[in-house]
Amino acid sequence: MAPVLVLWLAVCLGATWAVDRGNFKTCDQSAFCKRQRALKPGESPYRALLETMELTNTRLTLQLINDNNKVRLLLELYRLQGNITRVKINELKPLKPRYEVPDVLIRDPPTEPLSVLSQDENGVVLSLGAESQRVIVSVRPFRLDIMEGHDVLMSLNSRGLLAFEHLRMRKDTQADPEAENKEEADAANQAETTKEEEEKAEEGMWEETFKSHSDSKPNGPSSISLDFSLPGVEHVYGIPEHADDLKLKTTDNGDPYRLYNLDVFQYELYNPMALYGAVPVMLAHNAQRTTGIFWLNAAETWVDISSNTAGKTVFGKMLDYVQGSSEIPQTDVRWISESGIIDVFIMLGPTAKHVFSQYASLTGTQSFPPLASLGYHQCRWNYNDQEDVRSVDAGFDEYDIPYDFIWLDIEHTDGKRYFTWDPHKFATPKEMLQGLVEKRRKMVAIVDPHIKVDSNYKIHNEIRSRGFYIKNKDGGDYEGWCWPGNAGYPDFTRADMRAWWASMFAYDQYEGSMENLYTWNDMNEPSVFNGPEVTMHKDAVHGAWEHRDVHNLYGLYVQMATADGLVQRSGGVERPFVLTRAFFAGSQRYGAVWTGDNAAEWDHLKISIPMCLSLGLVGISFCGADVGGFFKSPSPELLVRWYQTGAYQPFFRAHAHLDTPRREPWLFGPENTALIREAVRQRYTFLPYWYQQFYHAYRTGEPVMRPLWVEYPQDPATFAVDDEFLIGQNLLVHPVTEEGSRGVTAYLPGKEEVWFDIHTFQKHNGAQNLYIPVTMSSIPVFQRGGSIIPRKMRVRRSSSCMEHDPYTLFVALNARGLAEGELYIDDGHTFNYEKKEFIYRRLSFSNHVLSSVNLVPDSHFTTNSWIERIVIIGSSKPAKVTLKTADGNESQLEFDFDASMSVVTVRKPGMNAGADWTVTLQ
Amino acid sequence: MRFHILVIALFCCGSAESRKVRGISSSYKRFYREKKSFLCIDGSKLIPFEQVNDDYCDCADGSDEPGTSACPRGRFYCTNLGFRPHYIPSSRVNDGICDCCDASDEYNSHVRCQNTCWNLGQRERAFVEGQMRTLDEGLRLKQQLIEEGVLLWREKQAQLRELQQVAEDLQIKLEEHRRKKHEADRFKEQTLRALKGEDSGKSFLLFISHTIAPDEVKAEVVPVHGEERRLSDDEAGVRCFSVFFLFQVLVLCYVPGVSNSFWFRAVSNTLFFSFSLSDLQKKLDIDYGTDWEFLFLNGQCYKLTVYEYLYTLCPFSHITQKSTAGTEVSLGVWGMWAEPAKNRYNQMIYENGEPCWQGGSRSTTVTLTCGTETALRSVKEPSKCQYIMDFQTPVACQPVLKQRGVHSEL
Repeated sequence: MAPVLVLWLAVCLGATWAVDRGNFKTCDQSAFCKRQRALKPGESPYRALLETMELTNTRLTLQLINDNNKVRLLLELYRLQGNITRVKINELKPLKPRYEVPDVLIRDPPTEPLSVLSQDENGVVLSLGAESQRVIVSVRPFRLDIMEGHDVLMSLNSRGLLAFEHLRMRKDTQADPEAENKEEADAANQAETTKEEEEKAEEGMWEETFKSHSDSKPNGPSSISLDFSLPGVEHVYGIPEHADDLKLKTTDNGDPYRLYNLDVFQYELYNPMALYGAVPVMLAHNAQRTTGIFWLNAAETWVDISSNTAGKTVFGKMLDYVQGSSEIPQTDVRWISESGIIDVFIMLGPTAKHVFSQYASLTGTQSFPPLASLGYHQCRWNYNDQEDVRSVDAGFDEYDIPYDFIWLDIEHTDGKRYFTWDPHKFATPKEMLQGLVEKRRKMVAIVDPHIKVDSNYKIHNEIRSRGFYIKNKDGGDYEGWCWPGNAGYPDFTRADMRAWWASMFAYDQYEGSMENLYTWNDMNEPSVFNGPEVTMHKDAVHGAWEHRDVHNLYGLYVQMATADGLVQRSGGVERPFVLTRAFFAGSQRYGAVWTGDNAAEWDHLKISIPMCLSLGLVGISFCGADVGGFFKSPSPELLVRWYQTGAYQPFFRAHAHLDTPRREPWLFGPENTALIREAVRQRYTFLPYWYQQFYHAYRTGEPVMRPLWVEYPQDPATFAVDDEFLIGQNLLVHPVTEEGSRGVTAYLPGKEEVWFDIHTFQKHNGAQNLYIPVTMSSIPVFQRGGSIIPRKMRVRRSSSCMEHDPYTLFVALNARGLAEGELYIDDGHTFNYEKKEFIYRRLSFSNHVLSSVNLVPDSHFTTNSWIERIVIIGSSKPAKVTLKTADGNESQLEFDFDASMSVVTVRKPGMNAGADWTVTLQ
Repeated sequence: MRFHILVIALFCCGSAESRKVRGISSSYKRFYREKKSFLCIDGSKLIPFEQVNDDYCDCADGSDEPGTSACPRGRFYCTNLGFRPHYIPSSRVNDGICDCCDASDEYNSHVRCQNTCWNLGQRERAFVEGQMRTLDEGLRLKQQLIEEGVLLWREKQAQLRELQQVAEDLQIKLEEHRRKKHEADRFKEQTLRALKGEDSGKSFLLFISHTIAPDEVKAEVVPVHGEERRLSDDEAGVRCFSVFFLFQVLVLCYVPGVSNSFWFRAVSNTLFFSFSLSDLQKKLDIDYGTDWEFLFLNGQCYKLTVYEYLYTLCPFSHITQKSTAGTEVSLGVWGMWAEPAKNRYNQMIYENGEPCWQGGSRSTTVTLTCGTETALRSVKEPSKCQYIMDFQTPVACQPVLKQRGVHSEL
């Protein structure tokens, strides 16, 4: 009977594949969201008390009063450097402090002075400095309008949805005489009788249950909400992580987008459900301007989006345009959070790149990863033992496929005790790691934040004895179920806990670890199998704060502490590499992110593009999806297409569930092996370009993988494109993501642009939809005319093996015969680039002369790499090609000319990649 | 040692005319004779000879750069004096990893590679010799097992014939019973007609209904009017019926008025007989190799403990996995040889084991390798529920192996 039962279960499980939605809350099931959403747009009860206004050098403060309950709020307004306005609203006198998110901003943002332009009893007008930007504070009802000239850029509380649930004493408990006294005292106060009417206890204010879990809510209701109106805006983006399109949808007819880090089993696509990470940043774009809203709050958050044009058909919009009678399109956004304060940064652009740099000035940029981590990663749950690792490693050599990292999932540990190794299967980890060192390859082993409760486990004992565990509401150590069974969760919000955790990565603490072992933090939402919504109880306690306040921040802290550990173990010399599943604003500073437990389905391949694009827009550039899909087993066609797509996404890792058949690249016949090999090899040839893009992201905060509209902000045809993307400015990728595809239609942006197929060098004009016939080997990728891309064409076993290899420069000329690019070289793995130990050069081609100029004259680094080949695409045939080096020597170079594609290939110019030189085509 | 130097000297002098051409084998030297120009081996391009091995790829086939890493499709020849020569992809030249045991691939890199060819060669020669010995011994044992196999085969065939004889006898008996039953039926009908309406008490008639599965053979005991003393001439009062179904003979016996258990026993005994017949037939239908050399494995079981599990392989029957906790799980029952059409007996497939959580059922692929003993050597589970076993046995030894040996430039 038992096997029959198992079979029956298997059939049932097989049938119900998708996420069990019932495990996760809808807005209606989340009491504060339901309360807040019941509030409809209308006149705000809040009034600004101008007589309380104070203006100092750095900020303006002003009290707001809710005319219904007389509770006063304090508004703080800051003008920050770089065209950012910060609006903070807290209770004037909260019963106890409300949580303000620490450790996300990289510093106290530097302010600039505000000045009052005019003031009367209806409000006050403040100058935001340049470009005639002003903030208008209206008194009754309270609202803020940010203007530039005659245009309103953004309005706050224009729909009256500012709602601030002040902290209060519980009234329905007879046991609390103090509360009663207070009530009486209040009642005596005639002026505040209205308050009493207002405060009828609603269900879910003081406790809430979901499924079998109850949330004790000792602080009562504490949620906050604010609305933003964006006139002239029809496109908003960001607020990851959701498995949805790049362009955010309106939420009028469903749930708002939810931001609450959750371990969602078999997530569904194209809906606003919360996933593993949360970045409360939204970008708004139209052809004239890009702006951003950063809602700094780590509690459960919901975002409603509505639009006055959303319902209109294209024809309707056209009719409006022709008749000229239409209202201005507008998008309205409303943010709702369960606790904390309103602390919002309004980034005023005016371009997307300004917004990226504004956001980077607040939360930092993408960490500059070690070069090897941009190579290919081979992962599986699980490589069974050292012999398995050895044979997979050997397989890559046998089939001549490069890779840099092999990964070990949870089974490598001794009974899911992180920082340990299975004594039988991984008995000699250093031997294994040394074997990889000899191949110049690396390993990642998983370290999750749940700690097995086991008195024989050093890590657990230390955490317990130091009191580092998160506490439950009754003061004991919080315990929940995860991979090891009963587990505790270290309180990563504590700096002393993080310092201790980081010290555990020292080579003498983490036994079996070596320089080429890096770390993966999974399950850090945190995942609690038997907790509400598979996560931690909100009434768990982190020192003075509830888990409710800090939830979305937990994963960031785990990765922060781990990355610190990897930096410290090398004495601050080596760059860390840490992958995380949960994240928050600022996580870009600590490593890479992946899109969690996806599935081997074509739609999951497609969604990897908008998911990573959305993350890139909010600063997290180092993003990837599990190649092949985590759950289920991909067809060879899907697997090949996924490799082809992943090879052009920032984080390139194949991963598979424990229950799926093996899928190393050589297991699907010689043809598929060859296709996968080719895709991975293409990745490796572009590594210099990827590395340069990450250096750029680290410097500027601009995304590596970016939507078309970022580069072509005035072309509405690009605004919703998310089946193709750009890497930097110069590579356009349109992966094949349809089963059985015989062709794709790619949009090549830019009226003035030309685009060159990177494989054939065929030239295509911009601003057109181009149909591209495809075969199984096709990966449609185009280089922008006007760009120079350095590549290394000698693909070897790993990126380290290619360190000293020569470069080929691909110079793609634009319509005016010009091209520009950069060449960045450093040691690839240390922090010495911070000491300017790098080569950073500008390459430019104009008037038939290609030259290399040092961009940072005081930089110092030497390389053995040289220029092996220059490929000039879109050029006419020169009579001769001469090289002139810095010492004035001139020599003639051999070249080939391909007349059919107008390509000049200069043979072996041979100069050092760090030198000054010019190459002239005559 | 002296011999060694001589060899090296000879080698150097022999290749004097193409001294600068690194990374080619002697059989390719003719393409690289020093001349003014070099023709790519695929004939696609003529280049100046100075451009051979100048660290720039000119030929599409990579033939101009046999000694550098410049060509994506190039290959580098490791001479590996003292060991086996072989080709490596050009991308492994000067990549900081020692690939050729003679260190010739890392002539311009930061690693210092040792020449390990002589050691490797010795080790390989020792290994190959060991293998040869194993093979010789294995083949000798195999011959024995083949002979035993043939004997066993004959024995089983004889058993089969014997059983078939019994079956035939039963068939004859059956015919007889059938005839008798026919008579009895006729008699019964007559009697029933005569005794219409009268109840003469405690006698039974068995009606047998049957289906394919033996445990589903259902018997019904139905009270019948009349007397069957005359139904059979059996003096002991035991009544027997023979039934024929699915090529098997069932003899059903009963004693009127006595407990029913007796006839059940009779039935099961008879069924056992018919099963041993079909079982034997099934067993003999399996492909035991061209010389029945694998027959001796039938009925044997081999065990191996890996980490916390005890694995048991019973060839041509089933495989199980038992955890230290004590639960036993089937990893598959005998399915087939992996490549039966090619008469290659080196991989067995066992399938339809315990179902898996994500669907499908456990299965095991057993690879047979040559060895002097018959034993289970390793078990792995590369993917969930898909096991692979290495099973060593003399009967997997193939004489062709003997022709392999150490090739070297020596």
